[in-house]
Amino acid sequence: MNHLLDLYDSTIMQRALIEAALVGALCGAVGVHVLLRRLPFFTITVAHATFPGVVLAVILGASVLSGAIVFALLLVIGIWITGVEKRLATSTVIGVALAGSFGIGAMLQSTQNGFTKDLAAILVGQIIAVQRSDLIATGIIGLLVFATMFATHKELVLSAFDPTEAQAQGRSRTVDLLALLIVAAAVVTTVPAVGTILSVALLTIPAMTARLFTRRVETAIVASSAIGALAGVIGLTISAQWRVAAGAAITLTAAGLFLIAFVATTLVRHPVSTEQVVVFTDTRRPPELAH
Amino acid sequence: MLASIRLVTEPFEPVYMRRALIAMLLLALLAGVVGVIVQLRRLAFMTDAMTHTVFPGVAIAFFMGRSLFVGALIAAAASAVILTLLARHPRIDEDALVAFVLATFFSVGVIVVSRNRTFTADLNQLLFGRVLTISTRDVVEIAIVSVASLAALFALRKELWLRAFDPVGAAALGYPTVAIDMILNLLIALVVVAAVRAVGTALVVALLTTPAATARLVSSRIATMMVLSCVIGAIGGWLGLVISYDASIHHDVRLAAGATTVVVLTAAFAIVALAYALARRRETRQAVVS
Repeated sequence: MNHLLDLYDSTIMQRALIEAALVGALCGAVGVHVLLRRLPFFTITVAHATFPGVVLAVILGASVLSGAIVFALLLVIGIWITGVEKRLATSTVIGVALAGSFGIGAMLQSTQNGFTKDLAAILVGQIIAVQRSDLIATGIIGLLVFATMFATHKELVLSAFDPTEAQAQGRSRTVDLLALLIVAAAVVTTVPAVGTILSVALLTIPAMTARLFTRRVETAIVASSAIGALAGVIGLTISAQWRVAAGAAITLTAAGLFLIAFVATTLVRHPVSTEQVVVFTDTRRPPELAH
Repeated sequence: MLASIRLVTEPFEPVYMRRALIAMLLLALLAGVVGVIVQLRRLAFMTDAMTHTVFPGVAIAFFMGRSLFVGALIAAAASAVILTLLARHPRIDEDALVAFVLATFFSVGVIVVSRNRTFTADLNQLLFGRVLTISTRDVVEIAIVSVASLAALFALRKELWLRAFDPVGAAALGYPTVAIDMILNLLIALVVVAAVRAVGTALVVALLTTPAATARLVSSRIATMMVLSCVIGAIGGWLGLVISYDASIHHDVRLAAGATTVVVLTAAFAIVALAYALARRRETRQAVVS
């Protein structure tokens, strides 16, 4: 226990803990919209799309964050414009964008020598290396996102649940763009801390957990935000205690919280009964055809 | 005329380039067919997830000194089984489930790796592949996987189409839809594993989505889409190898062959998409005029 308190004493650890809590709370809140709008695949694609931006920024000597932001914006606009096209499924367009942006990043990277170390940091994140300026950036972006979510809450929820009605009111395309931008902002802020691939974990798993308890969007946002912050702090503590990668520890903590909640809510709702069995078989098959 | 023939033959004089070309063409053929099904069933996200869920299998096999291929296959198959069984769970959103499985599997891999630093070089290889150092044995393995998967898909074609276009009808007729989904997802896992080792995660996703998406813009018939998507993938793979060879030999710029192929495929998609959009616009304008 003493050792744990010592851990919290160092400035580096304090900064990392604040960052983990901030990022967890931000991603938790935004995650509810990610689930409402079925954007997990888009989320991981934004995370990949920042990769060529980061590589280009390093080559040109510009700031890594600006490179990430520019490429995330390009992706958001590309997906938003092609969103009206019905011939290709959205998941197909997103798949093409994901592979394409990753490929461009890899091609740029292959022209350079000795890049691999930074690349590993981008993939897995480096929350321990967080500076005071990073904390301020996270805080500002977080505040902006929360303010936007608060101000446009009604529109965001309406166009997610009832696109036809939102279209009738005329601003649904703008609201869609706003939702994509909010998610992209959360991703760009999270990637330096937990890495490309694991940022999608923080943007989905806490929201999945919150949804097990409540159907109300507002309650889910608050709960998911709290769960995200909790996962960030617990995961980082585990990572410092047992020297494992922070991003992975945070992800597995979030996953553990989900599993606990899932088992608990399942037991509360349906005390073990035959109903459980039906879930995994195909209920649509007529009984007389069953073997 | 001679110069253009040289452009075709010169890069493939070294044996390793010929092996790379054969591997690339085999994978383009396999991914072209499977990619159309992936698109039809909207499994692009699951496919991308599998390129990451192989990671813990590879990492654990690496430290146990076992075959990376088998390790990757076990991990990918495990994720395919979980995704198939829980896909229809009423309390879990399907997309969120894919993200959940992707992130947790990948985290386990990261934790295994973060305990040992020597792995980063291999991690890079996993991400970007090593098509130029592919061995004859790898090529033979890819050929076997390709023939087996294509044969299985051909045998199951009726069930797969019925399941894709009329899921309710398929279930009502007594087809085991969960089993069909399971077989398809396990086949995709097999393709991903075979391809990841050769060309890396980035190119696997590209080969399985981009040529099929390009083909979809040109045709709506499944057979036509499959042929087109194979041809596009093959030309992309060949061009990628030629460009990366030419850049490094004649212009002293290093370009990774796999990544160059991804960029070529993406550019082809962008051009066709632009042409498609312009054609559509013209059509609607003519419709308005008349």
